[in-house]
Amino acid sequence: MSAPEKEYYHALQIVSDNCTGCTACVRVCPTEAIRIREGKAQIDTTRCVDCGNCITICKFHAILPKSDPLEIIRNFKYRVAILSSSYAGQFTEDITYPVAKQALLGLGFDEVAEEAFVTEFMINLIRDYIRQHKEIRPILSSNCPAVVRLIQVKYPSLLPNVLHQEAPMSILTRYIREKIQEEKGLADKDIGIFLIVPCVAHVTAVHQPEGAYKHLQDGAFSIGMIYGRIREKLRKNNIGKQPEIDTYEQGLTWALSGVEAEMVDCEDIRALSVNGTENVLEILSKVEDHYLDQYDYIVLRSCTNGCVGGCLNVENPFVAMSRIKKIIKGAKPKKIDASELKALYKDGEFAVAPLEARSIMELDQDIKQAIQKMKKLNEILVMLPGLNCSACGSPSCYALAEDIVNGRASIDDCVVLLKRHQKEED
Amino acid sequence: MGEYLYVSPDHASAAEAFLRNRPEAEVSMEFEIGEKDFVNAGKGSAEVKNTLKRLGIDPNILRRVAVASYEAEINVAAHSSGGRMNSFIYDDLVYIRFADCGPGIADIEQAMVPGWSTADDLVREMGFGAGLGLPNIKKNADLLRINSQAGGNTLLELIIFYA
Repeated sequence: MSAPEKEYYHALQIVSDNCTGCTACVRVCPTEAIRIREGKAQIDTTRCVDCGNCITICKFHAILPKSDPLEIIRNFKYRVAILSSSYAGQFTEDITYPVAKQALLGLGFDEVAEEAFVTEFMINLIRDYIRQHKEIRPILSSNCPAVVRLIQVKYPSLLPNVLHQEAPMSILTRYIREKIQEEKGLADKDIGIFLIVPCVAHVTAVHQPEGAYKHLQDGAFSIGMIYGRIREKLRKNNIGKQPEIDTYEQGLTWALSGVEAEMVDCEDIRALSVNGTENVLEILSKVEDHYLDQYDYIVLRSCTNGCVGGCLNVENPFVAMSRIKKIIKGAKPKKIDASELKALYKDGEFAVAPLEARSIMELDQDIKQAIQKMKKLNEILVMLPGLNCSACGSPSCYALAEDIVNGRASIDDCVVLLKRHQKEED
Repeated sequence: MGEYLYVSPDHASAAEAFLRNRPEAEVSMEFEIGEKDFVNAGKGSAEVKNTLKRLGIDPNILRRVAVASYEAEINVAAHSSGGRMNSFIYDDLVYIRFADCGPGIADIEQAMVPGWSTADDLVREMGFGAGLGLPNIKKNADLLRINSQAGGNTLLELIIFYA
């Protein structure tokens, strides 16, 4: 059980001045972490999994994503940008992927690497891991940080099923950091490695990684922010002459959850792909019931279509997916030398520590107390109107009953009951 | 009237004492199961699972309850003309009853054999009816009791202890 005093980092912030208390965010939160209190949204930081649903739904710019300012790269002598695969789907087709990638050098990076470089290696790693862990079925993908945190919070019994290996961008970070130290003779502290990410969960994963043994990245930038800067530079033709860089188009499949599953799927491995929060919740619940044991691997991504659906992207997830598929179709296969990566994997360098539960759904640590609270909860529940209108600031009547039992709300918060009482008094 | 009883040796005396005394539960739930209603079948067991999560039940016990209650719920939907699921939650065990409106199980011992099934085509098309339902319930329950006869109702009861 995790220590309750642990402080969780989250890559989002509430701008209370903008919040109208509309409850849209309250209703889309998969862990029921948000409440409206005194007319403003509040987030329970122990429950939040950084899925970003609240950011996407908020019409009032009251919940904003947090990522690092680009200026922090100046703190390092040698700066590397690692691109999430979804980046390639953001640009209109007049800007080719190599140009969009090359342009990053004009923003002050010395080197640009892409997640796509390790995709093929990742697929082989995943297959090997699945074959070596025959006693656990299904294996659940660990790439989406929001899904990992969702499992820690709501499905702790499934933690052993999670693929206990670093995500591709972290694997790439490990590899690049070592390579630069060797080739350029630079000290670890002089090398800054930054991720350009599609979602807030990846920002959080950089600042507070789960299970990581070593120092990995030095910051995370939003694709949206980088996109803006690059478009501006391209418009002014201000990128300057930058050296050519290699691109690995075929690896861009990583941005699409369906394609990742198709690639892992083979004669002895049956894979399933799931994306979107509601679907992920339903599938995890079915895995818990041993209903999906016939699958060897399940790719789970919290956003629509996978990482292309992240809230820090600028393009619609379906348009971005279509563009990425087009880039992949037009690409020539490239041979990638993965021997060094394989050696690191063999040495267990990419393994992560056993993931711990964040058990926050319980009513009480003591079962007798918890049952008493549950009894009280049910008594309150029958008094509530059952409209699940969220007007009280809790996501549902059940959640309000739970909040009342836990001393965080009162039955007078129910607007519908209040109105009924007023009518009776009249 | 056919009766089938399985009790795990570890919990035999506690389970029998429970059935004798049937103390009143502080927390209970009721769920209607419609005939061939595969859209909603599974919701009752999901509700039990979510309640147990809030009580902080050990994750492995939770999964056993989830599997046993889900299988039993699907059985009622697939094989009977509808029924009711009643769950009673205590601080040391969960007791769940599935009562249906027939047509009953002709040979319970036979139904307990893995792979044996009377499921019709519709049920099989839905991906159920592999003949693993009852054996799976038995595997996950500390007590399983079935009372049934051909042409009559079926009552399936199960108990799972938290420790």
